[in-house]
Amino acid sequence: MTERSVPRSVEATTAASAARIARERVARPNGWWGMAVFVAAEATLFGTIFGAYFYLRFHDLHWPPPGVEEPKVVAPLILTGVLVLTSVPVQLALFSARRARLGAARLALIVALVVQAGYFAMQIHLYLDDLHHFSPQGSAYGSIYFTMLGAHQAHVLVGILLDLWLLVRLASGLTTYRLTALQATTFYWHFVNVLAVLVVAAQLSPRL
Amino acid sequence: MVVRAGSLVRPARALLVALLAVGLAGCGNRQDVLRPASKQEHQISSLWWVMLAGAAIGFGVIAVLLFLGWWRRNRADLPGGGGEKAATALVIGLGIVVPVIVLSGFFVWADIFVLKRTDAPSPSKTAMTIQVIGHQWWWEVRYPGTKAVTANEIHIPVRTPVNLVVTTDDVIHSFWVPALNRKIDMIPGRRNTILLDASRVGRYRGQCAEFCGLQHAHMSMSVYADPPERFRSWLANMAAPAQRPGTALARQGTRAFQTLSCAGCHTIRGTAADGRVGPDLTHLQTRRTLAALTIPESKLGEWISDPQHAKPGNKMPGIGMSQADHQALLSYLESLK
Amino acid sequence: MAVDVLTPRARSRVDRLERIWAEPPGIVGWLTTVDHKRIALLYFFTTLAFFGAGGVEALLIRTQLAGPNGKTLSPETYNQVMTMHGVTMIFLFIIPMTIGAFGNYLVPLMIGARDMAFPRMNALSYWLFLASGLFIYVGLFIGQGPNAGWFDYVPLALKRYDPGMGIDFYALGLILNGLSSTAGATNFIATIFKGRAPGMSLNRMPLFCFAMLAVSFALIFALPALTIDCVFLELQRRVGFHFFDVAHGGDPILWQHLFWIFGHPEVYIIVLPAFGIATSIIPTFAKRKMVAFPLVALAELLVAFIGFGVWAHHMFATGLPTTTLIFFAAASMMVVIPSTIQVFAWTLTVIMGRAEFRAPLLFIGGFITFFVIGGLSGIMFAAIPFDQATTDTYFVVAHFHFIIFGAAVFPVLGGMYYWFPKVTGRLYHEGLAKASFWLTFLGTSLTFFPMHIVGLLGMTRRVYTYPSNLGWEAYNLSETVGAFILAAGLVLILVNLVHSRFRGPPAGPDPFYGGTLEWTTSSPPPEYNFPVIPTVTSAYPNWDREDREADRRRLDQGLLVLDRGHETPASTVRDGILDEILDMPSGSPWPIVLAVSVSLVFVMLLTTHYLLAAAFVGLTTVSLAAWHWQEPQER
Ligand code: HEA
Ligand code: HEA
Ligand code: HEC
Ligand code: CUA
Ligand SMILES: [Cu+2]
Repeated sequence: MTERSVPRSVEATTAASAARIARERVARPNGWWGMAVFVAAEATLFGTIFGAYFYLRFHDLHWPPPGVEEPKVVAPLILTGVLVLTSVPVQLALFSARRARLGAARLALIVALVVQAGYFAMQIHLYLDDLHHFSPQGSAYGSIYFTMLGAHQAHVLVGILLDLWLLVRLASGLTTYRLTALQATTFYWHFVNVLAVLVVAAQLSPRL
Repeated sequence: MVVRAGSLVRPARALLVALLAVGLAGCGNRQDVLRPASKQEHQISSLWWVMLAGAAIGFGVIAVLLFLGWWRRNRADLPGGGGEKAATALVIGLGIVVPVIVLSGFFVWADIFVLKRTDAPSPSKTAMTIQVIGHQWWWEVRYPGTKAVTANEIHIPVRTPVNLVVTTDDVIHSFWVPALNRKIDMIPGRRNTILLDASRVGRYRGQCAEFCGLQHAHMSMSVYADPPERFRSWLANMAAPAQRPGTALARQGTRAFQTLSCAGCHTIRGTAADGRVGPDLTHLQTRRTLAALTIPESKLGEWISDPQHAKPGNKMPGIGMSQADHQALLSYLESLK
Repeated sequence: MAVDVLTPRARSRVDRLERIWAEPPGIVGWLTTVDHKRIALLYFFTTLAFFGAGGVEALLIRTQLAGPNGKTLSPETYNQVMTMHGVTMIFLFIIPMTIGAFGNYLVPLMIGARDMAFPRMNALSYWLFLASGLFIYVGLFIGQGPNAGWFDYVPLALKRYDPGMGIDFYALGLILNGLSSTAGATNFIATIFKGRAPGMSLNRMPLFCFAMLAVSFALIFALPALTIDCVFLELQRRVGFHFFDVAHGGDPILWQHLFWIFGHPEVYIIVLPAFGIATSIIPTFAKRKMVAFPLVALAELLVAFIGFGVWAHHMFATGLPTTTLIFFAAASMMVVIPSTIQVFAWTLTVIMGRAEFRAPLLFIGGFITFFVIGGLSGIMFAAIPFDQATTDTYFVVAHFHFIIFGAAVFPVLGGMYYWFPKVTGRLYHEGLAKASFWLTFLGTSLTFFPMHIVGLLGMTRRVYTYPSNLGWEAYNLSETVGAFILAAGLVLILVNLVHSRFRGPPAGPDPFYGGTLEWTTSSPPPEYNFPVIPTVTSAYPNWDREDREADRRRLDQGLLVLDRGHETPASTVRDGILDEILDMPSGSPWPIVLAVSVSLVFVMLLTTHYLLAAAFVGLTTVSLAAWHWQEPQER
């Protein structure tokens, strides 16, 4: 067994060689594993929040409590659908980058970023609107509702920052390091999108 | 395991009782899990003795193995031969098969049968219901259907199943009288219940078992299992309003009780005092202790002048008062029979 | 492979590695280090200091409880000391000691890697841990320590009943601590999956690493529940949200569920590394491989897994529905099986081998003894009626100290002796070490055994004092005396190690003829761990003489020396086939900067300067960017 038969990151000096390394390695890179484990922790975090949501829900007689209107359905559903679609450009960006097609990767990222940022802005708008109608200090329902949505939006924001970061870095070319970052971020975005579906399902559950 | 352990129960028990006796010298006021005074607690303590015997066997096996490891330190292989395969088989046999069998039997016995017999019964099956409300750091005791209210000292009729409904006024407490039954938490928003069914007349000590803050250590209580007649007369007295004070000094105490703001916190039924913060004092003199068994009743005078001394941090403030007021109050409180 | 006699060609390769991996000298080197061994030492000394603090708290508790109506501590102080003892020992001592210190030092060495998968994140997790410890202790020193017990039940911990800042120190401190542990656990999983030497397929991985893998997964899946619980608590205490108060639709039991969903896996997180240490020490001194190796590996993973399904056994007295109780009791009995497998595998290995009872093995003997006693009392709690009788008494305190001090700390003590020669290059004093074993063994028994009895006699836990007429005095006195004997034993260990560090005879690379890879390299190991990446064909590679000869030849030939940068191999996850050669980051100031910035976020949250907290979140983001700006290849 020698080092000559495997890719070596000190040798990746060009975009093409970085992309080749990404294709040649058999297992997923360390960075991907780091992100996967992190995502597992995050998923548990949200699992706990969902658990608490339904625990409180089945503990209380009225959900939402009297005086609080039931959640709106249409806007959150449409927004979530739009967000989930961004998984496509994000995945495309990775696909292109692995073939050293930097321009295409950047373009796909920009598309994703624009949609995500739009989603985020709309969500914040809805959040503030909700705050005008009922408050987290009024009842357990309000508390868990705003905590859950707030936590999710924080994750969307982190994803947006990651996209921005990648765009900045990809502007000066492709390296193994950046390619792994892209791979990890892609994974993260898929996760956030799955989360969006689950969060909206929990959010709308009183309507069921 | 139950059968095998049975024969070992007695000697092990004798040994432990002897061991325990060292600490038991000069008792009378116990809080002991292993001195059952009810059928339920009897079940629990037998459970313990059987488990102890089982544990002794389990520990004995491991001790022997460890000893063998030392004894045979210069020889490889198992005693009586046998290599890798035999050792793995032993691990599977002793480490999986035996525990699965033993634990299955144990589970069915302890968690199905014993559990059922110590569980709180449905209220319809009990003769009476008592309500206990936890406060930081004392117990309020009510007898629904009567006007009786008392604190920290609970009276029940002997050999009568009594259903206790436990709730709390503030944080979580846990009701526990070891000689009578298991414990049960008192949790905000919940009504938990537990069965008390004393088989012997006597006084049983109990203590709050869930950490509830500063004076968790001084939140004890007594349960008196009385013969039925004694219990009935106690209850009748308890339900009656307070006696009118007989002496002038005591009557002066009634006024001091109002002016010194005692009445804002304490109820004395039949008077204007109707505070709900502290214990009901209507029949204070029927209790032998003060402040959840912290001090004997005989120290009433000291308690009134400085309640923060014996039980620092408790919710009754020290109230400055003149010597005369103190005398009068004491005389009044001593008349509350 | 130890570098002792080298051909000139090999020498020049080693010199090159020395140059590449050299760290800046002095304090700067320590502050910016990303070397897993240095970080492990930082962890070690920090956790040792916290152990000292937790131990002093324990001795204060024992002094107060030595006799009835003790006057050493006021009730308020007692409650803070008692809570801080639990919090310190669990979060600031045993977990960071076993994972941060032992795991960090040993995992890369045992798998033949040159560092962790994410060296800078490793440094980050240390600095965050240090910050969380200091954070919580500031509370105690300003008289506002947490005081509601280590599981901090609400409503007692709500603002209404606990208006000071103690609980805020607790909740925020534990969130910070959890960040550190999450970073650490992520790192271990990636390292163990990806960093193993060529040929080390999962079934050839040392059992210690299996234990660390199980622990890391348990942390990843357990910690979020605690984090969320603490977030809820702070939201309720600080901003008036409602999660736990009945009046607004909350429920205090929610806190308990979330705490114990974390809390029970936590106890296996505490004990699993100890299993790992035991399975390292036993084969070395029994001079044979572990009996039933695959079963033991499986058992280690299973303990962690089943441990997630038993949490409600800490809530048997809360009045949960009977069916729920029975389910959790059954699960609590099931969780025993992986432990019994291991106990028999350990003891049979000792029997099957020609055991040499040096101090580390003695400590493992003590560990097995105490683990069995503590485990047996654990099973007793799975009998619901008995648990309902003894929960919240000293019987529980006895159970968990036997199993924590006896079964988690004893292997740590044994492990300190065992790897001392590896870390320092010197041998400890065997006679003193044996004496210290007997002293701690005696102390532990005397301290914790009487707690069973006094618990059965009705002594509830967390009482700052007790009356004189309940027959508890003799036992309590014995516990106090025992605690001081135990402390003397621990000090003796410390004296032995400190003395031997400077005066001990040289140890050489492999004084005990251990089976795992850390013994193939020199003591102390060089920065790059191995001059040539070892290749592995069994679970006890150091006993494969030919393979080690082959390493030596490859150093000569320059194969797998990996000396073109901070290089380390990465392999495939299951089979450990060499897949890639990575260039690792070297020393960096960003981890400590980031940790300071994150800690300041928490300080600002504590002092309710929310705008400043947001500002520091911004600073954190900027330092993260700076951290990632320099890529390894750009050096
Ligand atoms: C290192 C930590 C550790 C470990 C490993 C364990 C292991 C176990 N624990 Fe323990 N436990 C704690 C730490 C730990 N515990 C702590 C800290 C608390 C209290 C928290 C608090 O309230 O503050 C606690 C409390 C606790 C309770 C709640 C008590 C209460 O508060 O009412 C229960 C209840 O079921 C329990 C059960 C068990 C069981 C069944 C095991 C099992 O895993 C034990 C398995 C081991 C063995 C069984 C021994 C070896 C085998 C043999 C000797 C072979 C022969 C045996 C048979 C044939 C059965 N533990
Ligand atoms: C890892 C966990 C751990 C460890 C090791 C210990 C160790 C000890 N514990 Fe503790 N304990 C807990 C975890 C632990 N404990 C927990 C979780 C609780 C529950 C808290 C709660 O209820 O909330 C508890 C509660 C608890 C109580 C019950 C308090 C109460 O309910 O009111 C008592 C009482 O005796 C006690 C005693 C001791 C003693 C005497 C030791 C001794 O073994 C300690 C001996 C150690 C020393 C004496 C230190 C020596 C140190 C050195 C030699 C190094 C010095 C180095 C430097 C200074 C650099 N502990
Ligand atoms: C702010 C409320 C408050 C005021 C005012 C107050 N008490 Fe109390 N009192 C309490 C509380 C609470 C307790 C229970 C203390 C404990 O056991 O922790 C108590 C306990 C007692 C007890 C012991 C009862 C028992 O059975 O254990 C007596 C007697 C008593 N108070 C008398 C008085 C007198 C006399 C005054 C006026 C001088 C007074 N109290 C004023 C709150 C108050
Ligand atoms: Cu009430 Cu403890
Ligand atoms: Cu548990």
